[in-house]
Amino acid sequence: MAAESSGKVVFELEGVFAHPSGDEEDTEEDFLVCGSLRIVEKDADIMMEFTPLEDSVDPSHILCAAKDSSSVMEWVQCGNQRPGERGQWPLESQQSYETEWDLINAASFKKKACVAGQGSVAGGHEQSGRFFSVSLSQLAAVTLRDGCCRHRKTPALVFALKGSSSLPSLHFHQGGSKELLDSLMGVATLSKCAEDESRLLISSPNKVLSQSFENLEDDNNFGLVHKLRKDPYVTTLGRFSKVTNYIFDAFKGTEEQHQRPPEEVANLLGEIIPGLEINQQEEPGFEVVTRVDLGTRPQVSRSAPVSADMWNGHQDQDGRLMHIARLQESIFRGGLCHAVRKEAWKFLLGYFPWNSTLDERKSLRRSKTDEYFRMKLQWKSVSEEQERRNSRLRDYKSLIEKDVNRTDRSNQFYEGIDNPGLVLLHDILMTYCMYDFDLGYVQGMSDLLSPIVFVMENEVDAFWCFVCFMEHMHQNFEEQMQGMKTQLIQLSTLLRLLDPSFCSYLESQDSGYLYFCFRWLLIRFKREFSFHNILRLWEVMWTGLPCQNFHLLLCCAILDSEKSKIMEEKFGFNEILKHVNELSMKLDVEEILQKGESIWLQINKCQGLPQSVINILALESKPRDRCDSSTESAAAAPPVAGALHRGDRACANSNGHLRAMDSQHLSKVAFMS
Amino acid sequence: MSNKTSLLKVILLGDGGVGKSSIMNRYVTNKFDAHLFHTIGVEFLNKDLEVDGHQVTLQIWDTAGQERFRSLRTPFYRGSDCCLLTFSVDDNQSFLNLGNWKKEFIYYADVKEPEKFPFVVLGNKLDVSERQVSAEEARQWCQENGDHPYYETSAKDATNVAVAFEEAVRRVLAMDERADHLIPTDTVKLHRKPRSATTCCS
Repeated sequence: MAAESSGKVVFELEGVFAHPSGDEEDTEEDFLVCGSLRIVEKDADIMMEFTPLEDSVDPSHILCAAKDSSSVMEWVQCGNQRPGERGQWPLESQQSYETEWDLINAASFKKKACVAGQGSVAGGHEQSGRFFSVSLSQLAAVTLRDGCCRHRKTPALVFALKGSSSLPSLHFHQGGSKELLDSLMGVATLSKCAEDESRLLISSPNKVLSQSFENLEDDNNFGLVHKLRKDPYVTTLGRFSKVTNYIFDAFKGTEEQHQRPPEEVANLLGEIIPGLEINQQEEPGFEVVTRVDLGTRPQVSRSAPVSADMWNGHQDQDGRLMHIARLQESIFRGGLCHAVRKEAWKFLLGYFPWNSTLDERKSLRRSKTDEYFRMKLQWKSVSEEQERRNSRLRDYKSLIEKDVNRTDRSNQFYEGIDNPGLVLLHDILMTYCMYDFDLGYVQGMSDLLSPIVFVMENEVDAFWCFVCFMEHMHQNFEEQMQGMKTQLIQLSTLLRLLDPSFCSYLESQDSGYLYFCFRWLLIRFKREFSFHNILRLWEVMWTGLPCQNFHLLLCCAILDSEKSKIMEEKFGFNEILKHVNELSMKLDVEEILQKGESIWLQINKCQGLPQSVINILALESKPRDRCDSSTESAAAAPPVAGALHRGDRACANSNGHLRAMDSQHLSKVAFMS
Repeated sequence: MSNKTSLLKVILLGDGGVGKSSIMNRYVTNKFDAHLFHTIGVEFLNKDLEVDGHQVTLQIWDTAGQERFRSLRTPFYRGSDCCLLTFSVDDNQSFLNLGNWKKEFIYYADVKEPEKFPFVVLGNKLDVSERQVSAEEARQWCQENGDHPYYETSAKDATNVAVAFEEAVRRVLAMDERADHLIPTDTVKLHRKPRSATTCCS
């Protein structure tokens, strides 16, 4: 038999009965097909196969993987909601995807079409032999049911495929369901489904780590992001890194050797699969496109920093700032002179409202000063006795003391013993614990605070600016590190759009989950650039321009510069991590900002961007004519004001430089479909 | 028997601020900076050495110590050949937490036979005058928890740092040899990864 090709048999069990419909109520003997079930490692894939006992299998009804093992097939069940069709064979259709290596390198976005009416309805249940062979990567979940046959209860398993279809349910009249699951655990990851105790989600380990843009699809059943994609590089190596092979206690009492406290396992999974708990809204349904040709990347140049004169010139008699959008754009384009920072950062961070008058700000500061010292007094007045009974406060305090002594100590502002700057850092971090006791102090926060204290030179102002900054960064530091997971997924999505071949390379080195960017994201590049470069980088990012999550494009810009070295020197998992760690203090901030903006211009001009990318960057939905590259007039007169600003703060005055860029390059954007 | 260089992965674990990074840096670069940044994420450095005629490249992994970052560091535990449990002699809490670190390591590194796995315990900051943990207490803990070798180190003045790493290597090699005796051997040691050509040494 064609599909029964050679391969390493991981598991084999005879006497399994397949029941074509998932409906157990009309289980009649006739509908059950006896056969044997195997898990086979073949070439670059692992398949689960069911072979009926009967010899006379009509080959025309054999559904199996094509010779190319990367092809997959899908069973699409139709009408399974309609009671009248109960007991009928599901509509079957076969879909074969040619995932050739070169195609993956070009990483086109393939439409995972939902096949309807394309397959033929097999001849009903009189069709006895029903062979199936399905790649494990196509399995989405397995549900345990009590099958009922000859009025005997027997365990039955129903494997759901990705999409909404499922395999025939498998009945284990002679036992062996536990063994099957054990074997599956050896080659894939099974995890508990939150909504359904009897259901286990299946994912193949390496695919867990390699986030594929293509399959970041919405699965309504679980509310999970399925970003798991077959990775031929890794599977060819046959190395299924058994990252998490733990099963939950869904099948009670049968998995002793694998039992671990569920919350621990959940943690482990959450850790290793960054997107597992990701909020579904982060990745809504995809607009799948065949390929996005990004066109050339426009060159941009940066400007001089905003001077004190320029800043003052933007204030009216009452000290209210004018032409705010233009001012923000100037800051985006050149940053601030150091003399302006102390004032301007308060606006950029949101401590001072942009449209406030000087008097309003004075009264704001008065009340914020009171509030600060009230909170400071709270921890200051904790007695030793109290502290002894408050382990959390004690832990926060101990770690703050340790970390303050190792934060930016080579900087003049913080160097030396008994440096007053250290006291400021300490007191502000302790007071922040009182402001947000649930979060308390997490390592990395002292890095975020240090430049603010340096610029503010004032405890109260620095505290409130830090509070504002932490509002952006809070999620990064939370218990589940949801912010980190979200950002890693988003970064992966952007990188996949910009550089699919690099993404594939990273995936082949088990680095597709981009953990090597962890430090960049956790503390906004604080450790990657020199102290003074960080002041520049942060004030530029705090303008919120040119798009939401601009820092992710900066990550892409850095990776873009390192890509050739990483790939040419064939860096593996460890070397990539080491190389990226060692970029610290070697990066040029202006160059990265320039490149990041170029990438944004390049993306923003594209039509047919995946919805996920549009959401991550909060790109405006563009009117047709603007993006129609064939329309010369659109290229000649792009709406420049909207090009840099998000809709809510679009500025009336356009930037001449941007205009030039747009008209020069928009016409070059080409699309393929 | 082996002229080949083996790659050994050792991992430093322990509470934040006990001096994991300083120990690693002292050993690999022979430098000490009292104001070194606390580690964010994971880092590693390589160091070549010879122990009892064996050429070894030590790959030393250093992690963020705070509980919150567990999810980041634990995936890196796998494949470790040795674990250096580190506390600071001037911080009793870091000593009390040794057991938790050991448990966390065994759990996430998926150690098959925890009782045989080589742990080495380091009591760092020997240079500090105000001790909170006595050498006796520490030795007793090591004895009661699997007879682990114990070293009192000072990354600051380089006391016992190299000795501790060399002991770690000996423990791993001893494990390997025991394993080799079980298999009649003309065979190449497959379980020890040969050093990769692209390894970037520091």
